[in-house]
Amino acid sequence: MNFKTILVIVFIFIENIFPQKVNDFPSPEDPLFVRVDKYNKLILGNHWNEGTIMQRVIFPPAGLDKPLIGPQADCLDPTSEMLAAYSHKYFLTKNENDRKIANQIFEGILKLENVTGVPGLVARSFNKTDKPLWHEEVMWYHEWHWSTSLPGYRWLGDLSSDKFVSIFYGVGTYWEFCADDNYKIKAQGLIDRFVSRVIDNNFKLTDLDGKMTLWGNFCPDFPRQALNSLEMLAGLKVAYVMTKKEKFNNAYKLLIEKYKYDDHQILSKIIWPEEWQNKGDDYHAARSLYMLMRYEDDPNLLIKYKMNLNRNWYSWKNYDFSFEDDIWFIMVYQILTGENIINSKYENAIKDMQGFQRTKNTYKIPTGNNFKMVESEEEGIASAMIRNYWFGRHYGLIDASW
Amino acid sequence: MKVSVLFLLLFSTLLTAQNSENNSPPQKMVLVPGGNFVMGSEIGDPDEKPRHIEFTEAFFIDIYEVSNAEFAEFDSTFKFPKGLENSPAVVNWFMADAYAKSIGKRLPTEKEWEKAARGTDGRMFPWGNSFDETFVAWDHKDERGSAIAKPQSPYGCYDMSGSVWEWTSDWYKPYSGNIIPMEEYGEKYKVMRGGSNFNNFSFMRTSQRYYLLPDKISKYFVGFRCVKDIK
Repeated sequence: MNFKTILVIVFIFIENIFPQKVNDFPSPEDPLFVRVDKYNKLILGNHWNEGTIMQRVIFPPAGLDKPLIGPQADCLDPTSEMLAAYSHKYFLTKNENDRKIANQIFEGILKLENVTGVPGLVARSFNKTDKPLWHEEVMWYHEWHWSTSLPGYRWLGDLSSDKFVSIFYGVGTYWEFCADDNYKIKAQGLIDRFVSRVIDNNFKLTDLDGKMTLWGNFCPDFPRQALNSLEMLAGLKVAYVMTKKEKFNNAYKLLIEKYKYDDHQILSKIIWPEEWQNKGDDYHAARSLYMLMRYEDDPNLLIKYKMNLNRNWYSWKNYDFSFEDDIWFIMVYQILTGENIINSKYENAIKDMQGFQRTKNTYKIPTGNNFKMVESEEEGIASAMIRNYWFGRHYGLIDASW
Repeated sequence: MKVSVLFLLLFSTLLTAQNSENNSPPQKMVLVPGGNFVMGSEIGDPDEKPRHIEFTEAFFIDIYEVSNAEFAEFDSTFKFPKGLENSPAVVNWFMADAYAKSIGKRLPTEKEWEKAARGTDGRMFPWGNSFDETFVAWDHKDERGSAIAKPQSPYGCYDMSGSVWEWTSDWYKPYSGNIIPMEEYGEKYKVMRGGSNFNNFSFMRTSQRYYLLPDKISKYFVGFRCVKDIK
């Protein structure tokens, strides 16, 4: 056996172990722009599911040679982060290839609507598959459906309020900074249908069965988290800015004037008890405030939104950057307030943003009435880091040489 | 005609209530007197409609959900993390039903569950119409009755909102007079009530209905409490 043959065998062996396209991980010591570029390639190569971005990918033997197996409930989060990242990037670079990728991600979100067969009803995720996949049984609730509108697809329902935020944040950012005239119309259409459906169902996210989803409560008739009041106001504001349709402005005014959502949202940040603090909720608040405060021009409302931001800042300013969005909160605060708060500590945290390493896990795979244990590699996601980077570049908070 | 029906209902309610007063509840149970109550909601999900008057006979109901320790006494193969003896047991419908029958009790019907949770006046939550996060046990691992404010239902039950969902004996079917179609109706899903820690506040409303396969609870935290007929 000559050296060439050995090389080919080794290559085939590696390909079988790692059938994904990309294995080039950056070193933690690489410059920030190198790390961002390599993680970006890893995500586009390994996590790309017809324009949507899989949050965690499990590789064979537990997974497939395409990124369809993994926990998919939160796919809209990385999908919207990558859409925002490419929108900020295009705004900066004016590179048509960046816009093309953004368009493809947006089309992925459109497909999340199309796959449900119901205008305005958006899926959490989808897969093109001829049979139910094993993770459907163990990684989420019983919410997978066969698509009636796109045969050969399965989709995950029970959309939540945080995905509502992902949609208006991601699509809104894309519409504002990246979409051409044709795609602006498509984005307006999606947001119009999506937010209209929520209004038509008395400010609830409802599922295929007509029932409110587990986390879809923005309804004035029900008790709800103050964060949901903020999210609904932000969603309506984005819908109005994008479509100019008065029904969104009227709904916004109704929730404020009759139901006092503007007052309710002030306390969306839980500061005490400390164990109730939740960085995930901070993230939904940060995205909502970022969209809402830039579009609102009523000084009285802006004061109330600023009060909410201040309550968040009370925690944000002391975060330890252990969560991927900690540093984004800092950047958002600076952009919304105009205060120059990015000091050397925050700057170092930006420069130090890291992605993920591939890990090995054992999965309990259902086999009819039993289970088998299968060990596989899996990969997390660095979409927030990539969004943080291009957001910072767009607003002049990050230097290209870092 | 209507007046006479109402009079009959009132008379039977008074009679049932009088009879049930002579019954003292078994240990760790409370009495829910017989009679009419307000069931359903006009502002909830389509399956909660219509808001209407229902009647139950008197019955006894557990003050707390069945705990891990209690369920493990019945089923020696039932495993739970150490330290969670007094937390609610999370089981499928068949396990819950078998447990209840083994001790001479049964699972509550939807009507019984809702009446025990909200009393007769149509309130949204066991304690009234406003919501407070301190009123509910947030985690399925929390001990039973450990909500900060410890509110009880009108009859003295704990954790009927939040904590874990609770099985009822009923198949998921429309209420009489509800003509809104739902393909899930029928004898495939059992109804669970009361919400858990993994849903928004409105799922803890006493009229809220949710359906689940009786043998597959997936990631839902579903427990149960039992009722007992009054002989």
